[in-house]
Amino acid sequence: MLIRGAPSGSGKMSSKKKIAVEEGLWTIPTSPGEKPHLIGSKCLSCGELYFPRKKKGLCIHCQQKTLEDVLLSAKGKIVSFSVVEQPPAGGFYKGPVPYAYGIVELPEGVEVLSLFTGNLVELEVGMEVELVIEKLFDDDEGNEITTYKFSPTPTN
Amino acid sequence: MREVAVAGIGLVRWKRYGDQEIYDFGSEAILNALKDAGMEWKEMQAAFCGSVYQGTGSGHQVIKEIGMTGIPIVNVENACSSGASAFRLAYQSIAAEIYDIVLAVGFEKMPRGPIPSTAFRPYELKMGFNFQPANYANETVRYMTETGATVEDFSRVTVKNRKNGSLNPNAFFQTPVTFEEVMNSRVVATPLRLLHCCPTCDGAAAIILCSKNKLESKTNRITVAASVLASGVYGGANPVKSAKFPPSFDIVELSAKQAYEISGYGPEDMDVVQAYDTMAPSELWNLEKLGFCKKGEVLKLLKDGELNIDGKLPVNTDGGLMSRGHPLGATAAAQICEIVLQLRGEAGPRQVTGARIGLAHARGAGPNSAVTILKR
Repeated sequence: MLIRGAPSGSGKMSSKKKIAVEEGLWTIPTSPGEKPHLIGSKCLSCGELYFPRKKKGLCIHCQQKTLEDVLLSAKGKIVSFSVVEQPPAGGFYKGPVPYAYGIVELPEGVEVLSLFTGNLVELEVGMEVELVIEKLFDDDEGNEITTYKFSPTPTN
Repeated sequence: MREVAVAGIGLVRWKRYGDQEIYDFGSEAILNALKDAGMEWKEMQAAFCGSVYQGTGSGHQVIKEIGMTGIPIVNVENACSSGASAFRLAYQSIAAEIYDIVLAVGFEKMPRGPIPSTAFRPYELKMGFNFQPANYANETVRYMTETGATVEDFSRVTVKNRKNGSLNPNAFFQTPVTFEEVMNSRVVATPLRLLHCCPTCDGAAAIILCSKNKLESKTNRITVAASVLASGVYGGANPVKSAKFPPSFDIVELSAKQAYEISGYGPEDMDVVQAYDTMAPSELWNLEKLGFCKKGEVLKLLKDGELNIDGKLPVNTDGGLMSRGHPLGATAAAQICEIVLQLRGEAGPRQVTGARIGLAHARGAGPNSAVTILKR
């Protein structure tokens, strides 16, 4: 299966483009109502799952070149999280502070390191969360750099 | 493989050196080790130099202050395990009878603030995943979920290590802190507070290793029982783990298992331990992974005071990273120096009575896990 991921620079006519923080991490919905999914790799030999997808197509568990792209579940639960109260070193991160990131386990068993969005003080281990694509920061040219995050699932 | 002895060690005060550079205080550590060993620089046959952020040929820059004798100088970058990795190369080269006398040294001049690790992909850096206290915080949350450990437990580790550090004239922090001070320090990355995080600082530590026939001292007969380095193990929680193929041994467990097999000792034989405490909770899970007790059982040892200098299992007797400070390339070398001092009976007010066998453990980014066992 070949899956087209979010291209970097997918803006239309507007001068302000939406640019993915990295190409190929998630799918872009092509119709209204369709939701984005993270793109992973599944090994047809041993069954291992990876996120992000392995670009070389090599399974680092069984060493076979039998990986195919898969769409991962958009819902999962929080394994761990941390609310960070200061920016990290190096100046690479240009998003808001405080911010939160941690590990989400998806139903198929794969763990994903992700940012969290929503009310950060309400995050809890075991909480159900859902994938969203949101702004990470605006770059110097005024483009919106987008990224994947998980958000607490609204309770109905 | 022949037996390898510790001929001498050299430390300097760990602090912020300001205008002084690694070649100033790094060379001082080497000169102190030469003095301690009763040896001269011209006797050294090779030098392995651990550092992380010090740039091109940093070991050469340090050794230039002492003497260029044509010996091979090899710079070793292995994150926080760099000092132990340099030690291991020195140890192996003597055990394999390539050299008789070799220097291992670690040094680092740290930038202020959080560690600027570059061991991340570009998108991970942009997403802010390079904040080490938060990465440890995530590991901590997993550990709390699995064991019931609390933030109060982590604060007890800091209090213990800062008390030990107050007995170490080379430590960065030489003042004890109270439980309340730790609990009231500012939150850095939930659930960790500032005083659960080790301070970075500048420092150096040197060790001279030799074959037994070259040992000058007749009284200080410390030998290397094991020097092990394990790097990445498939499927471990670093930070995400494989749900389908979790490893039989985590990287720290693997390094400990190998060190016990090589040395012929077990965890029950250790009189003094330096367990990697870059964040207060990591001392706890590392002690469990090193085999001193089962998962979650270290909390009782901590509360009962068994990890204190006068306890059954004295841990981080020189204050650990929490007091001694964390100049990345030097840290693991200083842990080994502390074990040497303890086994010689030269640790002064922080001496563990009658210590004969000790273990030093350094977990580094990569990941790496180094375990060194020394005996007298």
